[in-house]
Amino acid sequence: MSISEQPQDPADGKPPGAELAGVSPESPVGRLAATVDRLSREVAQAQAEAEGRALIELAKGILVERLGCGPAQAARQLAELSEQARMTPLEFAVDVINQAARDRMSEVTDAFLAATAAAESEEQAAESAAVRLRAAESGALAADDTQAVADALLEQALRPLGAVAVAIWSAGSDGSLALAGSAGFSPAEALRWRYVPPDVATVARRGLTERDGQWIRSLAETGLPTLGRQRYPEGGRVALPAGTGGRVHGVLEIAWPDPLQLQPPQVVRQVEALAELCAHTLETSTRPLGGAEPRVLPDAAELMDLADGLHDPALVLVPHLDADGNLVDFRIQHVNDRFLDPAGRPRAVVGGALLLQAYPMAAGESELFQRVERVYATGEPFRARRMNLTALVDQVPLSAVADISISRHGNAVLLIWRIEDETARLASLLQHAQRLGRIGGFEENLLTGEITWNGQLFDLYGRPQTDTPVPLEQLPAHAHPDDAVTIGRFLRTLLHRRRPASAAFRLARPDGVTRHIRVVAEPVLDTDGRPLLVRGAYQDISAQHWTEVALAATRDQLAHTEQQAHERNRLTLQLQHAIMPPAQGPLKLDGLQVAVRYRPAETEQLVGGDWYDVVVLPNKLVLLCVGDVAGHGIEAATSMVVLRNALRGLAVTGAGPGQLLSWLNIVAHHLTGAVTATAVCGLYDPARRTLTWARAGHLPPVLVRDRQAAPLPLVKGLLLGAVPEAVYEEAEVQLAADDTLLMYTDGLIERRDRSVEESLAHLLTTVRAAPTPLDQQLDRLLTYSRSDTDDDTCLVGVRLG
Amino acid sequence: MPIAQDPLSVEVTLPREDVALLTVEGYLDVDTATEFQHHLANQLHHGRRHFLLDLSAVPFMDSSGMNIILRVYQEARELPGSVHIIRPTSAVRRILDLTGVSITVPVSESVEEALARVDGEPGPAGARED
Repeated sequence: MSISEQPQDPADGKPPGAELAGVSPESPVGRLAATVDRLSREVAQAQAEAEGRALIELAKGILVERLGCGPAQAARQLAELSEQARMTPLEFAVDVINQAARDRMSEVTDAFLAATAAAESEEQAAESAAVRLRAAESGALAADDTQAVADALLEQALRPLGAVAVAIWSAGSDGSLALAGSAGFSPAEALRWRYVPPDVATVARRGLTERDGQWIRSLAETGLPTLGRQRYPEGGRVALPAGTGGRVHGVLEIAWPDPLQLQPPQVVRQVEALAELCAHTLETSTRPLGGAEPRVLPDAAELMDLADGLHDPALVLVPHLDADGNLVDFRIQHVNDRFLDPAGRPRAVVGGALLLQAYPMAAGESELFQRVERVYATGEPFRARRMNLTALVDQVPLSAVADISISRHGNAVLLIWRIEDETARLASLLQHAQRLGRIGGFEENLLTGEITWNGQLFDLYGRPQTDTPVPLEQLPAHAHPDDAVTIGRFLRTLLHRRRPASAAFRLARPDGVTRHIRVVAEPVLDTDGRPLLVRGAYQDISAQHWTEVALAATRDQLAHTEQQAHERNRLTLQLQHAIMPPAQGPLKLDGLQVAVRYRPAETEQLVGGDWYDVVVLPNKLVLLCVGDVAGHGIEAATSMVVLRNALRGLAVTGAGPGQLLSWLNIVAHHLTGAVTATAVCGLYDPARRTLTWARAGHLPPVLVRDRQAAPLPLVKGLLLGAVPEAVYEEAEVQLAADDTLLMYTDGLIERRDRSVEESLAHLLTTVRAAPTPLDQQLDRLLTYSRSDTDDDTCLVGVRLG
Repeated sequence: MPIAQDPLSVEVTLPREDVALLTVEGYLDVDTATEFQHHLANQLHHGRRHFLLDLSAVPFMDSSGMNIILRVYQEARELPGSVHIIRPTSAVRRILDLTGVSITVPVSESVEEALARVDGEPGPAGARED
């Protein structure tokens, strides 16, 4: 039996002590607070009590000898008696030792009673009752069987309270009740009621399940059966759980002949004290009618053996009492081989710890602690399916669902949990994730050549599940020829250098379909560093791949490592550079400086269709263009590529910008998906320093001259693609040395809360600032852009000089 | 983004059997364009030929909103029918001018004016662009 003097492991006392005032000790938080409080108190007191403990041990020794009881019982009695005497255990121990030195033990009790009566003399109403109680107590302590205790209780303590009969029930672990002793009832009635099977609702049974017991005004009001009901049908009854140290051993039932009025608190306390007294006798006496139950109670050691034989995680718990003998926690005496902590901690951390320390959340919603406490108290086993278990790891609550079984064996509690088939759950989750991510898993045994594929991988390869898996070595034969180098490098890293590797390649399936696949694999080495296994996964990134093509116009914001960036960009980078470098220039063309900036949308989903183009045409004119395809995503990006290339091709004809836009409108109109776009297109003639331009629904260029900035006139032109045929007005502007012309998409200025005019005005103010190199001016414009639409932005600047 | 708090409201009335008047309130942008389009498609489905879009309570319209207008314009032209924009706010008016849409889709100051234009132009409104 674990007792209060159990040495405290200082390492257990880690949580900082904190008093939580105003919290009910019965609430989960209250329990937590109490645990924390107790831990800090124990650590602090351990030192101070070291000396006093010797005296207490001595006093206990005296009680053991004189009362013929065990050390645990002696400790408990010492604690209880000192409490009742309102002395500290140490003071009381000294008294005991002093008394024992000259007198018989009975005199100890007498002296104690006298002292107690004197101490309580102020409480006039309670005085006589207190003396009676002590007398009953001494009688009970002296009695060697429960029947004698019942007699003593009735005669000495209960008759003065008006009671006529008393019954002491012993509780079986199955929830049954056996009448251990009674007084005031007829022997025949007592015989009839010698045994109450489990789940039969009686007054005593009710008293067992209610922590505070049952105070029944009149039996007739409840209708509950119990012994002596015929004789006192209108009588009051009290049934209290008789427990010590958190364990309920039975029920004390007291009968009154008449309806029972509400009792003063002193009486309630006295009766509770009597119930506890009964518990002591019940604990030590054998059950008179418990022949059906095994008399041999397995101790914790046997239980540990039992636990080790179980196939489910099991914990052997023993009660942990505080200095006053009250149950405060359970120590995890043992965890079996199958033990699996819901929080994943090693067994050694959990074994030996206190339950509430290892599982502070057990006091919380899962009520695990309360369940254990209840099972320990009553002996009734508890089983539950799908109970939530929560463990706290680094302050993070981790929950698991488990089937729970709690049972009491002797003085220990066996707690078994079966965490809901964790592997099965994880496996199904993983399967789900794999299906969603189109991930195929594989494992190759390099020694035996055995290859395992999951179903998804066969699907990725376009092979029936009955087919043979493809070894990694043969991967090049199943890939696009252009990817041979990539795969070669991947295999070399994995198999030769024995490092985790990944690669992206095009898988040529037997059905002629090409999938873009990413493969990730790692070698599993034996103790000598030789590769045993290779395992990994294929992921179909085809959808992702096309998104990436659409992202061609954007910086790769996702690249974290060079290698990842390399794979991701293998195609997109080429496209991006081919179409639109994010920053270009300044470019010098025939006395014209050109610089461009492209800023992608901040969120990937908003990848837009902005484009720009600057190219010297065969006729020496410079084509300047900025455009914006409506919408976002792949469709917009691909339309952008089409329009941009079309305009380049059309411009070679030498046609003017108005005509070019008319043609481009036809192209846009015939693009699938009813695409519309805006564009501004200009042809700069270096010889004449003139810009001829037209616009299709796009913002007109801004001319910066002599630190003044103004937009060019809003010539007429419908956006591209809206109607089959459209005409575009042309305008010409004569440029002078140091003039700067800006063409941009609305991502630069668009704001929801401002009109285009206001936004434009802000842009013009920014542009007007001190003249700077063209590059810096563009950077400045992007930096100070007040746009709030998170759209992509194109900016082309040309400057004469 | 401030638009999230401004859901689109579209009220549909029928001044005549083949004319749908859609009174729009709220931002016409990428978040709300689809809803607007559903209203228009519904009316097309019910055989309306002329679409009057009252945009006097639309403080902002982006290219998505514009595209919906252009799409219904194209569909109406095939019927033949017409699309009219009524009382755009200055910001929206500016966008219509900027994108050239006001060249193609007539802008009216009142429902009456728009209805008069519907009467005056039984043919495709797009004819005006030349």
